[in-house]
Amino acid sequence: MASVVCVFCFSVPMKEKKLMDVKIGELPKWILMRDFTPKGIAGAFQRGYYRYYNKYVNVKKGSVAGVSMVLAAYVLFNYCRSYKELKHERRRKYH
Amino acid sequence: MLSRAVLSTVATAAPCVKNAALLGPGVLQATRIFHTGQPSQAPVPPLPEYGGKVRHGLIPEEFFQFLYPKTGVTGPYVLGTGLILYFLSKEIYVVTPETISAVSTIGLLVYVVKKYGASIGEFADKLNEQKIAQLEEAKQASMKYIQDAINLEKSQQALVQKRHYLFDVQRNNIAMALEVTYRDRLHRVYREVKNRLDYQIAVQNMMRRKEQEHMINWVEKHVVQSISAQQGGVAQRSFEVAVVTFLWHGCKFRAADVKVKILQKSSPPSLPQG
Repeated sequence: MASVVCVFCFSVPMKEKKLMDVKIGELPKWILMRDFTPKGIAGAFQRGYYRYYNKYVNVKKGSVAGVSMVLAAYVLFNYCRSYKELKHERRRKYH
Repeated sequence: MLSRAVLSTVATAAPCVKNAALLGPGVLQATRIFHTGQPSQAPVPPLPEYGGKVRHGLIPEEFFQFLYPKTGVTGPYVLGTGLILYFLSKEIYVVTPETISAVSTIGLLVYVVKKYGASIGEFADKLNEQKIAQLEEAKQASMKYIQDAINLEKSQQALVQKRHYLFDVQRNNIAMALEVTYRDRLHRVYREVKNRLDYQIAVQNMMRRKEQEHMINWVEKHVVQSISAQQGGVAQRSFEVAVVTFLWHGCKFRAADVKVKILQKSSPPSLPQG
């Protein structure tokens, strides 16, 4: 749904702008306007997947970056999931 | 592509057909229109050569470009270092035994990628090229086959244009056969007619010959009779007269001069005047 990479495009008269073109004041209105049906959410995941896939994997001379970024994100995600248990293994109590 | 063109023409022609086919549901089924959208005529765009640029295999280049206007080149690295130190000092990242294993694993992976990355990439590229070459070969073979079929069809169509030569030859042959038959029969007719005319001539000749012989015999007989009655020069003269008379009845052309010569020698009393 939200685009991380900044894409430059001319302003569209409708409210169907990309995230980078929305002004800060209009942000809540923009978020509420998005499609929150199951179909919309599934479409959002599909769009995100295909954006990443077509940019880093589906090329003639792909590199390790396409896979390694996914693995790094997975590592980070698992670390965040298990942070609650890891907190007890700290070496110092006060930082 | 051809089927799409056909369907689009059917779609444009379909409304008038649909009005006529509103009666039966079975007929309406047949006129359902597919592919109403315009098909994209452009070829599929080719795959990009390289993926998005990523620095150190982890952070996309866009992040560095995002920070460049405000912090310059070293901004993201300073940010990274600061974050790492912050996480370590505040123990948001806890140093456990797993850290050691993680560091060694990541070190090994980085070493392998740095050493063998390029060769593995080339190997994968070669596999891709082989696949593409196979497909290209199949495509070329198919195209060649279809082109040969087209050429054969064209040559056969050209042959059809030349069929009139064949018909001309046949027509000429038939005309010649007719002409030959006609002349042959004409010749036969001529021969038959000539045959009959020759017969008539032969009959006439034979009659004349018979008449001559008969007359010769008759005159000879009378001359012999007259000679036996008279002797001497008179008999000689009569004989000459008889001979002249013969010649005159036999062939009319020379008889006149011979007759004159003999009449100059003598003057016989009875001589047929001609």
